[in-house]
Amino acid sequence: MSRYFRELSVAGALLLVLLGLAIFAPGFYQPQPLLSLATREAPTLIVACGMALVIICRQIDISVGSQFSVVGVCAGLLAARGWPLPAVLLAAILLGAVLGALNGALVAALRLPSIVVTLATLVTLRQGLNMVRQGEFVNLPDGVQWFGLSQAAGQWTLVLLSLAFFVLLGLALRHVAAGRFVYAVGTDAEASRLAGIRPQRVTFGVFVFMGALTGLAAMMNLVQSPQVQPLSGNGLELKVIAAVVVGGVAISGGRGNLWGAFAGLLLLACVSPALTHLHIEAYWEKAIQGAIILLAVVADGVRSRKSNP
Amino acid sequence: MSSSANARNWKSRLLSHEMLLLYVLIAEWLFFYFAGTTTNRRGVVVGFGTLDRQFDILRHSCEIGLLALALTPIIITAGIDLSVGSLLGLCAILFGKLWHDAGLSLPLAAAITLVLGGIGGGLNASLITTLRLPPLIVTLGTYSLFRGLAEAITRGAITYTDFPASFLFLGQERWLGLPTQAWLLLVVAVVIALLVHRTTFGRSWRAIGFSPEGARYAGLPVNRRLALAYTIAGVIAALAAIIYTARLGQAKADAGTGYELFAITAVVLGGTSIFGGTGSVYGTLLGVAAIAVLKNGLACLPSVMRMNAAEEMSGLLTGALLLLALTASVLPKLLSTVRTRKS
Repeated sequence: MSRYFRELSVAGALLLVLLGLAIFAPGFYQPQPLLSLATREAPTLIVACGMALVIICRQIDISVGSQFSVVGVCAGLLAARGWPLPAVLLAAILLGAVLGALNGALVAALRLPSIVVTLATLVTLRQGLNMVRQGEFVNLPDGVQWFGLSQAAGQWTLVLLSLAFFVLLGLALRHVAAGRFVYAVGTDAEASRLAGIRPQRVTFGVFVFMGALTGLAAMMNLVQSPQVQPLSGNGLELKVIAAVVVGGVAISGGRGNLWGAFAGLLLLACVSPALTHLHIEAYWEKAIQGAIILLAVVADGVRSRKSNP
Repeated sequence: MSSSANARNWKSRLLSHEMLLLYVLIAEWLFFYFAGTTTNRRGVVVGFGTLDRQFDILRHSCEIGLLALALTPIIITAGIDLSVGSLLGLCAILFGKLWHDAGLSLPLAAAITLVLGGIGGGLNASLITTLRLPPLIVTLGTYSLFRGLAEAITRGAITYTDFPASFLFLGQERWLGLPTQAWLLLVVAVVIALLVHRTTFGRSWRAIGFSPEGARYAGLPVNRRLALAYTIAGVIAALAAIIYTARLGQAKADAGTGYELFAITAVVLGGTSIFGGTGSVYGTLLGVAAIAVLKNGLACLPSVMRMNAAEEMSGLLTGALLLLALTASVLPKLLSTVRTRKS
């Protein structure tokens, strides 16, 4: 019980919010809008999985939003040139992995702090994209949206795919050696080195994985609409970091799991529809998101102070 | 003996980080001077080389310069503050609201804004010191919170304008030959330089940056010193907000978006170690100048003007510059570890 107190308390908060919505805004529970909400959040879940790994490894990646936009636009251009969808998917994942490898090399090989490195890549990628594309949308050919399926089938495919991926990764993180390495490096890099793990390699690998997942997520976003917006990834980094931190993944590394991150993501995803249903203006969303991040880290801080004053 | 020691001293001084940055700055300036200055059809010199343009560069670098000065002590303590740009936006809105909606006089509104900025910085400081939370995540949270509050207050739409000319004087006119706000930048620079380089505060910030535990055992009030750095940053961000409002003549919620990147880049470019412990305010000022010249110079290049993408290009180059500066800063250490491992 006490071991998973953090995850359980987030799940409890989520239940409270859902209960509150059931009482005060029953309109929230309609199958079609809920499915649309889940579809919109499916790419975010994939990115949040990667972010959880990065933060467990005691790093951070704030460039995912820019990577997401860049990969989205590039994949859109390839699809517009008539590439078949599987090839576009592969290219998107590869491009994401390459962008992640750039971060990973700077952080792992040069031992630079990840926050500053990814701040730099965030801006470099975003401005580079703006400079080249000047904010232009990419029109996608027919047959790309919802993989050429009907809308409902496409939505279910995306949601179920992302859930399956999330469950597999969550299990792997707990039961596969590579998953335990991430925890070991995040807890104490030097101790993990003495135990025979190569911490720099694990860090590099985590960043590459993060990039590949961002590429996958960009693809899952791309098939949802007939156009690719160049700004689709703006603010994504804050959203996923908030979800992961709220879900009990410690920013100091080595602690947390994907189930908590999932609960955190659901909690945050309910904020914006809850705001509309409770007739609060949407302008408060960012402030509330910031307040939730602060609340989560304050709760962690208070708890760790109590346990070792 | 003493003459050779003297010569070595001179050599190391000429090759110090600040001097190298100064050479780069001069080279950059000369490049834009020759590539970005043209004569228009009526025979008037336009572009980078004009005196007006130089004052313009100074004017536009004041807000980022202030934020970079605010970040220098924080980064010396091995901390970071990502929220300064958002706090600038929030303070600009609060300033506009205090003046326009609450009907306060401008000096009073400005004074209250500075206090509110201090409170914003104090919020960061109290979370970081009392709960020992990492500055990175705290200021990431307030980055979102401050900007979100600014958007919520204005509902994303309200912009405060119609400031009187006496106030716009601060941001758009010249006083004693220089843009008015440059004098404020100068005052803040002197104060921060004195604090960092000539007082025990600077010494304790450095000590904390090297080792917070060690600083505590040496009897330094670590929490109070850290709190001071973050609170000063809040006040300076509020000052930057007032100057920003005066320069543009309007206060809106997206004021200062992305400024934190430019400020951090300037500080790191100036030779302050992102790992804490060392740093210099002079370096920060040179870093600010290097970025400002780059940003302004690019806009004067004919090839960039044709592309109509000067803003994006300067952002791109600043990000790349930060990566280069970071790489360059760790390269000597990395090479020496490789060498010792080989021998």
